[in-house]
Amino acid sequence: MSWLSRAGARLLPAGRRDWAEAVWAEAREVPPGWPRLAWRAGGVRLIVREAQMMRRIGTLLLFAAAAGAAAWGAWPKSPVSLSHGAANQGDVIITIALLAGLPLLARWFLGPPDNRAARWLRAGFYAAILAIMPAKAVAELFVGAVPRGGIDRHTFDFVTQGNPLPGSVSGGPDWGGEILILFITACYLAVILALTARRTPVAPATLAISARAGLVLGLVMYAVAPLGLGKSATNPWLRGWPIDTLVALAWVLLFSAPFVAGALAGKRCYVPDDRDEASVARAWQGCAAGLVSNGVGALTVTVLGTGTTALMLKSAWIRGWLYHGQHLTASALYGRELYATQIVAFYAVICVVFPIIGLLAGLAGSECANMTGPLTDGGGPPGAPGPEPVPDPPDGGRLADAEADQDRLLGRYDGEDAEAPPGLVGAGLGWQAQGWAWRWHSSSDLSRRIVYSLG
Amino acid sequence: MKSRREFSPQTLSVLATLCEQPSRWQHGYALASQTGLKSGTLYPILIRLADRGLVEACWQEEPQPGRPRRHLYRLTADGLASATGALAASAQQQPAGRSAAAAGARQPGGRGVAAPAVR
Repeated sequence: MSWLSRAGARLLPAGRRDWAEAVWAEAREVPPGWPRLAWRAGGVRLIVREAQMMRRIGTLLLFAAAAGAAAWGAWPKSPVSLSHGAANQGDVIITIALLAGLPLLARWFLGPPDNRAARWLRAGFYAAILAIMPAKAVAELFVGAVPRGGIDRHTFDFVTQGNPLPGSVSGGPDWGGEILILFITACYLAVILALTARRTPVAPATLAISARAGLVLGLVMYAVAPLGLGKSATNPWLRGWPIDTLVALAWVLLFSAPFVAGALAGKRCYVPDDRDEASVARAWQGCAAGLVSNGVGALTVTVLGTGTTALMLKSAWIRGWLYHGQHLTASALYGRELYATQIVAFYAVICVVFPIIGLLAGLAGSECANMTGPLTDGGGPPGAPGPEPVPDPPDGGRLADAEADQDRLLGRYDGEDAEAPPGLVGAGLGWQAQGWAWRWHSSSDLSRRIVYSLG
Repeated sequence: MKSRREFSPQTLSVLATLCEQPSRWQHGYALASQTGLKSGTLYPILIRLADRGLVEACWQEEPQPGRPRRHLYRLTADGLASATGALAASAQQQPAGRSAAAAGARQPGGRGVAAPAVR
């Protein structure tokens, strides 16, 4: 039993292992038989509860189910050739192995995620990568199937310009492309696991801000391509839309989203008093914000774009939605589908270029935060000082009403030498006298500042 | 704003037991016997109380021969103050008869804890 207790205690965080051992040690004092068994069952319950095993098991089951579904969808059922099948199978197996293995490595070296933003971000990345797998397989299968003849073959040759298309029967399996995609996937996973780990000093606020900025960027990019920019593919859905404005907005967001995220992250993070250390801390937050922002943006547009393309190939309803009001011939539809699947490869470029731009723009944003004004605290990494506790009112005191007592409270600071009106013990409304001017230095709320005055 | 943390009836029963002899170290089985709580309920309560600095824990220095060391618990000064306040507030909220019943329920072998929830 002792080995069982030690094994069970190892599941617990270091600060909790004593407690599990305590239950087991105490079991010797319990009368043998059912009472002792019940006592030990309580110890098991304690381990399950303190190790958050239900959540771990639930997460594991959810991942297994999602990975199984993605692998089933991406597994080559009728590959265009044996070598294509091998390439796709290898892609699926290695991706699943990366998803399962890299978190263990990250946990070993950098610790688990310790806040909600980090957990949500990880879950989102996992969902995105798993969603891309079957969508990519559908698109690749379509590209790989070269028409035997007729106008479709003519269209195919026109799109490929007579060259053997990698991934098609004539071009052979696209090993280079598969390896590149696997490499990008591994890099994304490694970066996101590192940035969301406990021992990496990235504030939860940085993750939350940059993820939102990235989502906006990704959605606008998705509206541009494949829905808008690829005019011959799917533009009709946006017929009459100011597509040029949308493209301009996408370009602006590509640079401004990580810049703003980096600036906000740099402003909001807790920094040390030392100027150099503070600058480094802000730069760290800015880089992380830029990477996450454009990484999320790239992954969002990739998931939505690849998914839309795959659904377009599979579902007549989606085709009807994309080409609403148009009567396309079969060959014209084939041409658009082929064009859309060609764009899928472009997402790999997006996934490489966006984070690099994000890194630089986020760094620039943090520098901007470094130069501008005082920083607010809050949203920093664990250990940052929080707000001061609200003091208890003195005997006979009452809580001043921020609005009703405003005149009295402001009168307290009617000048640097002015004396407080009788009965007013202290005030901290956020107003301070600075010469002739009042400066409002906390615009958030009056009521947060607690003022007590004697009745 | 509430000045006092809320305690569940089970936690109150543990605090009441520890309050009876605040300076004495007590072990888990004795606490379980007096409160009627199972180990799976008692130890999470002790963990939370220790996290909040209300209970201190240590390992027995000189274990009995052939026996493993036991984990011991007692209230801290803060814990004693909190427990006293919480138990007094609990006693005020319930009728005298039920208080007596609650005290009786904390005898060895007692199953439930009759103290009402402090919410």
